[in-house]
Amino acid sequence: MIESLGLTKTFSEFTAVKDLSFKVEPGEIYGLLGPNGSGKSTTMKMLLGLLRPTSGTARIAGHDIINDVVAAKRVMGYVPEEPVLPERLTGWEFINYVADIWRMPRGSQRQQDIEELLTLLDISDASNDLIETYSKGMSRKISLVAALVHRPKILILDEVQAGIDPRGAATIKEILNGLRSKGATILMSTHILEIAEELCVRIGIIKDGSMIAEGTMDELRMMAEGQRNLEEIFLALTGGPDMQRIAQYLRGSGESS
Amino acid sequence: MTSDVLTLLKLDLRQSFRPSSVKGKRSEKRSSFRRLIPLVALGSFVIGISLIIVLVGPRIWSYVEGAVISDPGLGATIFNAIVLFAFLSSIMVSATTVGNSAKMEYLLVMPVSMRSIFLEKTVLVVLYNSILWLTIGIPIFVGFSLISAARLALLSAPLFVFMTLMLVSLGVSLGGLIGLIFTRLLAGRRALKQVGYFVLSGGAIIFSAYWYYSIYYGDSGGQVFEWLINLARSLGFSSNITPGYAASVLSLGLLVGLPLTVQDIVLALAFALSSFALLRANSILSERAHYSGWLAVGSKRSSKKLVPVLHPMWAPRAIPIAATNTTIGVSIWYNITSVRREARVLSQYLLGPVRIVIWIVLPIFAVGEQSLVLTPYLLAVALIPFAISYGVYFAGYEIVYEGKNLMNLQLAAANMEDYVKGKIYSALPFTLGATVVFSIIIAFLSQSMLIYLPAIAASSLFVTLASGAIAANAAAIGGDFKAERMILRQRGSAAQMPIRGWSILRAQFAPMLLGFGGVSLMLAVGFFFNPLFTYLVLPVFSIVCLQIMKTYAHGAGVKLAQIEATKYL
Ligand SMILES: Nc1ncnc2c1ncn2[C@@H]1O[C@H](COP(=O)(O)OP(=O)(O)O)[C@@H](O)[C@H]1O
Ligand SMILES: [Mg+2]
Repeated sequence: MIESLGLTKTFSEFTAVKDLSFKVEPGEIYGLLGPNGSGKSTTMKMLLGLLRPTSGTARIAGHDIINDVVAAKRVMGYVPEEPVLPERLTGWEFINYVADIWRMPRGSQRQQDIEELLTLLDISDASNDLIETYSKGMSRKISLVAALVHRPKILILDEVQAGIDPRGAATIKEILNGLRSKGATILMSTHILEIAEELCVRIGIIKDGSMIAEGTMDELRMMAEGQRNLEEIFLALTGGPDMQRIAQYLRGSGESS
Repeated sequence: MTSDVLTLLKLDLRQSFRPSSVKGKRSEKRSSFRRLIPLVALGSFVIGISLIIVLVGPRIWSYVEGAVISDPGLGATIFNAIVLFAFLSSIMVSATTVGNSAKMEYLLVMPVSMRSIFLEKTVLVVLYNSILWLTIGIPIFVGFSLISAARLALLSAPLFVFMTLMLVSLGVSLGGLIGLIFTRLLAGRRALKQVGYFVLSGGAIIFSAYWYYSIYYGDSGGQVFEWLINLARSLGFSSNITPGYAASVLSLGLLVGLPLTVQDIVLALAFALSSFALLRANSILSERAHYSGWLAVGSKRSSKKLVPVLHPMWAPRAIPIAATNTTIGVSIWYNITSVRREARVLSQYLLGPVRIVIWIVLPIFAVGEQSLVLTPYLLAVALIPFAISYGVYFAGYEIVYEGKNLMNLQLAAANMEDYVKGKIYSALPFTLGATVVFSIIIAFLSQSMLIYLPAIAASSLFVTLASGAIAANAAAIGGDFKAERMILRQRGSAAQMPIRGWSILRAQFAPMLLGFGGVSLMLAVGFFFNPLFTYLVLPVFSIVCLQIMKTYAHGAGVKLAQIEATKYL
């Protein structure tokens, strides 16, 4: 279980996350939505113990992320928004390195697991190439393998679907659904609202570091009356495009030849 | 084209020397005071030198004047050295710039020709490489030109600036061209290229070490540059047609009032023109390299194969003593693998200490014959800088270069103390290698030392362990975790230490003290009493080193585990 208890993070004078509280239960996929710069990644990094909250705290499977951070980390897997990969290792080496760091016992079981994940995500072919040759989507896939290799109970995925091909995205969806039904706790952020709508049990929308709406799709629909799908709800709550400005711009750009 | 280059240059220089911190959430809040420190230091340096010249100038002026007039080759040699230094330090500059052009995608999409961009980057390197010479030279020339009675003396300072820029341009663009041509020849051959990088940078290190050596060795009886001059003469340098000679007659010559011939001026102009031409050639070749992609990272990846990739069972080899602990084992493997795959870094690491050894050991040689008594001792302690440096590089620097990878370690809640130990252990094979080489040298040169050999070899391994831990701890305190490993990848070629401030001093001097102190003590009791005593001191010294390693590896581990992500992301 993930419990965020009034998480707040201030960078010099700027407060990126303000008093954010929410809960993600086991067997639940929770979608964190919000415009760019609203504080999703910062929140996740605090939950992971990478950034120290300015105030507030969080509990991960009951472990406090300030006082008991090591125990908290042990149960989490994370795919960062910008995957952090050593360029001069091959994909295969990197995954094994990560597995070693997590103290997964070496041997054929682990070997099989990794091969399976690589094949599932269609990156087995590239697993012997240096990571510096990987495309963005491949980097994200290898990063997902690294997050899954130690079989975490809690997954934190920061825009994991960005830049992934349709087959990969569908695979990821199936994997996440499967893990959820086995009782995993999954917190994910995404800008692809269809995915959020399909996958997430509950959704939290944050803006400027504060939660502005939270609930199941039905609850959100009630909140933003008259809006049908998640995109309409999202735009109604966070502000849609500035039609007047757009019209003005289009007028100014004249006839295109 | 020129205006493009100037615009780009302005942009880059403004980024480097921005006077006060910019506003914005993401920008680092460095106080304007700290930003000013380098400028203040530079300023006081220039003022200091000017003052010295003004104070002692009149007294030494006649000597300087006499030296310059009696031997025009002297100035030429010094100026040619500028070309050589610029050349040596920029062999791979252009190739690296092109190879990393993905990092300046934002520039490449601008409506500016590619070659202007590459030209600007080269000019930037020229400026960075000139700063040192200009800060030393300008006050000297200004000071002396005020004293000199020569009619055109005042012209010498601006001409010196112009000539220095020309000399550095020559060196940098030649070096850049060589690097580009070299990578062209080896395009697509990854392994060969790595070997080539290793040989080239190894060669540069050995050469510069030899250079220091010769400066020292000639330094008796006021023949500072005699060896250089002889060598240069035998190579055809410091005759009348080198760039250094042209720079010398136009700057030093004017300063002391030597007659200026038409040939000299023509020569200088010719060199200036060829430096422009070379800079241009460099940028054109860089552009070609970029478009043809011979510097792009080679990928063997082909479209979907039917045969699945097979992997052998994962069990990377590690050093036996550490094989029991996975974290230590994988840390050793990671460290050696990532260093090994950057051939230039490997050769910097392995051969870098040669330079330190030269600086430390040879001044004593220069004292004279009586130092021959000390030769065996010197040979023995010459191993110490290697033992220290390997510890400092492999544990101290490499911890810093983990950079963003620290995130993976922190998330896994890896035992950082073990991880640090792995890094330290990964230096051992290299120290062992150096020990073997030195043992062979000692066996040939000084049999009397053979009896101490095992003690020296063993203690150098322990020194590596202690130095590594001290450096790792210093790195955990003062490391710049956003630094990039490749010195050349950084803007310009100004090398920046991955560890900052007091921490770098601690990382380097504490191990020196320990290494030289300990080994000297061990040898001293052996020399003065009985070699047996050396072997009595050895265990004590080893235990001290191990204790130091334990303490500092633990300290480093604790600090690294607590670093906040803003430090490295
Ligand atoms: N290390 C940092 N220093 C200063 N500001 C930061 C830092 N990290 C994030 N921010 C700021 O915090 C805000 C939230 O960022 P982030 O959490 O990455 O947003 P999101 O992931 O929702 O797009 C942004 O305005 C960003 O500029
Ligand atoms: Mg984000």
